[in-house]
Amino acid sequence: MTHLALKNISKHFGDFTAVRDFDLEVKKGEFVSFLGPSGCGKTTTLRIIAGFEIPSSGVITINDMDITNKAPNQRNVGMVFQSYALFPNMTVSQNIGFGLRVRKEKESEVKDRVAEMLSIIHMEEKANSYPYQLSGGQMQRVALARALAIRPEVLLLDEPLSALDAKIRVALRAEIRSIQQKLGITAIYVTHDQEEALSLSDRIVVMNKGEMEQVGTPFEIYNFPTTVFSANFVGTLNNASAEVVDPANGLISIGGVQFESAVDLKERKKGDKVRVAIRPERLGFASEQKKANVVDCTIENITFLGSIVRIQVTIGKAKFYMDTFNNPFLELPKIGDKDQVTCSKEAVLVLDE
Amino acid sequence: MAQTTVNPQNRIAVTTNWKTWLGVAPFFLFAILFLFLPSLRLFTASFSAPDGSFTLNNIIQLFSEPFIVNAYKLSIQISAVTALGGGILGFLLAYSVTVGGLPKPLRSVLITFSGVASNFAGVPLAFAFVATIGRQGFVTQILKEVFNIGIYDAGFNLYSFMGLSLVYMYFQFPLMVLIMAPALDGLKKEWREAAENLGANTTQYWLKVALPVLLPSILGTMILLFGNAFGAYATAYALTGGRIGIITIQIGAQIRGDVLYNPGLGYAMAIGMVVIMAISLAGYSWLQSKTERWLK
Amino acid sequence: MTFITRLRRFPFWSWLWFMTGALYFILPLLATFEFSLSWDPQYPLKAYQRAFEDQRFWNSFMYSNMLALTTILISIILIVPTAYWIRLRLPQARRIVEFITLMPFVVPAIILVFGLIRIYSQPFTVPFTDIVILQPLTNFKMGTNILIVAGYMVLSMPYMYRSVDTGMRTVDVRTLTEAAQSLGANWFIIITRIILPNIRSALLSGALLTFAIVVGEVVLASFLGVSAFGPYLFLLGQHRAYEPAALSFVSFLLTWLVMGLIQLVTGSQEQAAGAH
Repeated sequence: MTHLALKNISKHFGDFTAVRDFDLEVKKGEFVSFLGPSGCGKTTTLRIIAGFEIPSSGVITINDMDITNKAPNQRNVGMVFQSYALFPNMTVSQNIGFGLRVRKEKESEVKDRVAEMLSIIHMEEKANSYPYQLSGGQMQRVALARALAIRPEVLLLDEPLSALDAKIRVALRAEIRSIQQKLGITAIYVTHDQEEALSLSDRIVVMNKGEMEQVGTPFEIYNFPTTVFSANFVGTLNNASAEVVDPANGLISIGGVQFESAVDLKERKKGDKVRVAIRPERLGFASEQKKANVVDCTIENITFLGSIVRIQVTIGKAKFYMDTFNNPFLELPKIGDKDQVTCSKEAVLVLDE
Repeated sequence: MAQTTVNPQNRIAVTTNWKTWLGVAPFFLFAILFLFLPSLRLFTASFSAPDGSFTLNNIIQLFSEPFIVNAYKLSIQISAVTALGGGILGFLLAYSVTVGGLPKPLRSVLITFSGVASNFAGVPLAFAFVATIGRQGFVTQILKEVFNIGIYDAGFNLYSFMGLSLVYMYFQFPLMVLIMAPALDGLKKEWREAAENLGANTTQYWLKVALPVLLPSILGTMILLFGNAFGAYATAYALTGGRIGIITIQIGAQIRGDVLYNPGLGYAMAIGMVVIMAISLAGYSWLQSKTERWLK
Repeated sequence: MTFITRLRRFPFWSWLWFMTGALYFILPLLATFEFSLSWDPQYPLKAYQRAFEDQRFWNSFMYSNMLALTTILISIILIVPTAYWIRLRLPQARRIVEFITLMPFVVPAIILVFGLIRIYSQPFTVPFTDIVILQPLTNFKMGTNILIVAGYMVLSMPYMYRSVDTGMRTVDVRTLTEAAQSLGANWFIIITRIILPNIRSALLSGALLTFAIVVGEVVLASFLGVSAFGPYLFLLGQHRAYEPAALSFVSFLLTWLVMGLIQLVTGSQEQAAGAH
């Protein structure tokens, strides 16, 4: 049951292509994040859905109705801006009620809905405050309530948390998710923060240079990245160029050191250049856990990151990070030590070079 | 982050069509009708001979007719003197209330006063000075009776170059205060501390750090003051009734009636003024852009 | 603290400059006030009474106020949509429009009125014919009023535009517009309920500054031959002594009031400075 669909959307600004062939179907009540670096086209795509940009080609539908050329104020799409965009001349209640009043809804109706929204964001006591009297987190909650008050078909959030400090960001993140689930509203969330995308979304669209790199659940995106870009952008990742040795048995070689991978290599030939990616937490010392892929290494560097200790090792000629959980009884190796590391064959991802 | 927002906004430019320009059409129409056409008319007319043919005679006469050359000279002298005098006094005043160590409330008093005084010009200002240092003026009398100094006996005259300069100063130095006070605020405390830390004394700090940093701003504002005085008409007219031959007064006389017996020459005088004003505004904005780079 | 160190910390030079400036400011006002009271020692306010009794004073003063209000109103109608549209859709027009708004600094009032008179003292004809469609603007009262208001709009344009544009920058009209649009608002609602209320202090300070420029203005008013307050005061000064001083002092108080109001509405010490 598709609720929002973007079909083959492209957007050019002069000879610059901001978005190319964007194709996505979003189900009712689904939370989808557009994740990517600055300038990847995620905000442009969001603004196309909101109607602030008209796509150069392609079609957008909501409930199978074409809204591609509809004016922004006819779309019934709620939007939350990074800079809050609360109307400074109106109180919290007036801001939340604004969309309903311009729709000429009955005043009693407006009052009820505003009260309901205030209780959802837990800000009843601030109803008559002006935006300048609120903290950043409060302002963004009001902006969220304002967007939700019009019962939009789709809720669009444009990096809503990036102007806030870390603690509030995490708290508000959870609040946004729980409100979205409670109301069962379809939401599109633009962010460059992978942690936000992973923790909030039903699905993530990883974008780069105007194109979709990968679409999938947070689990898929993190564990099975299909491109070097999405593998690198989401989480920390070791990657090194390698060569296919034995496609049938999944054997590859990184600078002479052989690894076995669970990835299907039947499409590739012996001698093909590929890129191998391994998450740091999937590597471990061979002395602790004996499995496949036991290889020699040299300890290069040790960094203490709080709950995790990140050890840099050289395997063959390539440098890899290896994460181990910190505990008081941890016996750390010394720099220059020779040791052995291992990882499961499922952990060895093979991507196009 | 900046890029995601900047990108679409900057790029919009490429896709705007002519309809978008319709939004600013009324403004342009207004500017053409009441700003460009009148200026253009003066411009073309200054190249016309009385019979309507093209000529450079008017422009040449600007530089040869002693009556006109003197008017420009006088205007430039008054403007330069009051820009310099107003600039120096204004700077010292701005200095005294910003970094000069005077109590804080004096600053807002001075800024308010400056806002009023820089907008107080024309007829009332001329009358005020007549009441102050006219022949029977308040200060003239006090100087005579209490200090036994007769300024008029010593050659002072309010309706002369010096008198007019004194009057112009009244709106010149407040303008300097208004612009210099924020500029002086832009001097970072750390610069002074760094200079002291490196062994510089107060004089060295001012000569080698503060003044060089402020110089574009000081010069730029003085140029602004120059233009401010150069274009002034009402104050001088009200004070002297047209007896002092600065350029604006001469142009005024030309508008009232063809005193030069050559309308084209009158237009050329006006255009000559516009050119001088344009040069000073260009100088001001150039120096201002320099200032902004340093004092941000 | 010993006397010597206290003396050394005393900002002698600063005080000296400040006192010099203060004297310069105050003496002319004091002198004017003193003079305006000296007409009749028995009845110090005589000059004020005489000045306010004159019907021509009220006529010219009211007329100048009307001119100021009209100028302000039309300026707002012209400049607010222009500045808004440039922020919203036409950033590439910013430079040229800013350049135009600075033009009045290059074309002083005396030159502007010269050009206006030369252009608009001729009848409007159908192009390339002698058929007159409109009498010269300078020949009838309404035409002169149009001309003088247009002239005042030009003179106040730098201040009005800058004021409005700064106001729009500080509230980020672009995002607010998008937010209102996404909530379903149309253009009328956006302008009247979002934009104007949020730039009202900028509008007010621009308006007050325009008022200060227009009410006492002499050059345009006298050359276009309208009986505004500026020319009235000038003429009064030709044959009278005490009333002009009284009215000068009153205009000073008026300027003071206007500037005070500007400071009040902008809530800061930043002030646009006038040019003469």
